[in-house]
Amino acid sequence: MAARIRRAFVTMWMAAFSPLVLPILAQQPGQPVKVTQITGLMGVKKNTGGNLTVEGGNLHFSHEQTKVEVATTSMEDVVTGGDSQRLVHGTLGTLTMLAPYGSGRFLSLFRTKLDTLTVKYRDTDGGLHGAIFTMPLGKADVVKKELLAQGAHTTAPEEPANSAAAQTPAAKEQKQ
Amino acid sequence: MSSLLRGGIVSAFLLTALIAGSVSRAQENKPAKIKASAIKVEMIQSDEIKLPAEFQVSLYEDLIQQLQKKGGLHVYREGDRNAPDAADLVVLHSTVRGFKEGSERKREVTTVAGATSITIHCVFKDKEGKALLESDVKGNVRFFGGNLRATYDFAKKTAQITHDHFSPAAGA
Repeated sequence: MAARIRRAFVTMWMAAFSPLVLPILAQQPGQPVKVTQITGLMGVKKNTGGNLTVEGGNLHFSHEQTKVEVATTSMEDVVTGGDSQRLVHGTLGTLTMLAPYGSGRFLSLFRTKLDTLTVKYRDTDGGLHGAIFTMPLGKADVVKKELLAQGAHTTAPEEPANSAAAQTPAAKEQKQ
Repeated sequence: MSSLLRGGIVSAFLLTALIAGSVSRAQENKPAKIKASAIKVEMIQSDEIKLPAEFQVSLYEDLIQQLQKKGGLHVYREGDRNAPDAADLVVLHSTVRGFKEGSERKREVTTVAGATSITIHCVFKDKEGKALLESDVKGNVRFFGGNLRATYDFAKKTAQITHDHFSPAAGA
């Protein structure tokens, strides 16, 4: 009997606190995020994969020996968006396009959704740069929040999370 | 038989002369290049047409990259403090006139549908703001590649126009 009551109590306790668990897991500031730099970072080739962190007032991008830092205070605009890519992408993805009987085309139907993060920033001479990153779904908003908290600016201010308004096209910025 | 051969030779000569004449006329019609040693690229404007931020930035970055690749002119970014000191500076203003975002999935599956196209009005101005050249440039991606490949197409065409009309040596 006592075991049953204890089990019921534990279940109730877990149910009561479960809404808090997911946001805590989703938002871990300072944790590196695996991204692909599409374009715009000085000294980094297009479509380079790497890790992105926001620490000490800087955005850090690292790929093997290459390390690039951009001061968050130099960022004039940070905008998130959405995109998708083939489930089988890269060189293998290109090769599958040649697969017989239209199977390559069939594979194109399977896609993964991505977040995009677009950052406009100034260099030391005042020149305007723009960098685009793609990252797993749900990460761009976390990175954007961290950037804004450390001094970056945005033309698309954030809506309160989980609100109905956040689902409207305007509030979702330019998610497609 | 010999008259037939003679006629053939004469018509071959006439054809060669005609082709050579049209080629030289085309060369004569080529406009003289405007003297410029540097170009400043302004951020692409899209007040009337809603353009996703990643397209705007990709257009700008691709344009700068293609202009640098073509060589000849020194390329400055918007806001660069060193740009006003450059002699014979040309400022490139670009405004989006049309944008149709296609679908990479549709392109890959159907080949014929899902093209992305973007039309941009480019105005090359001198330091005083006088328009030197205006042109509408279109960027497309029809078969392979992501939607952002349209920005590369635009950048390549614009860099070619710049190369054709501006040079550090006037009239070259």
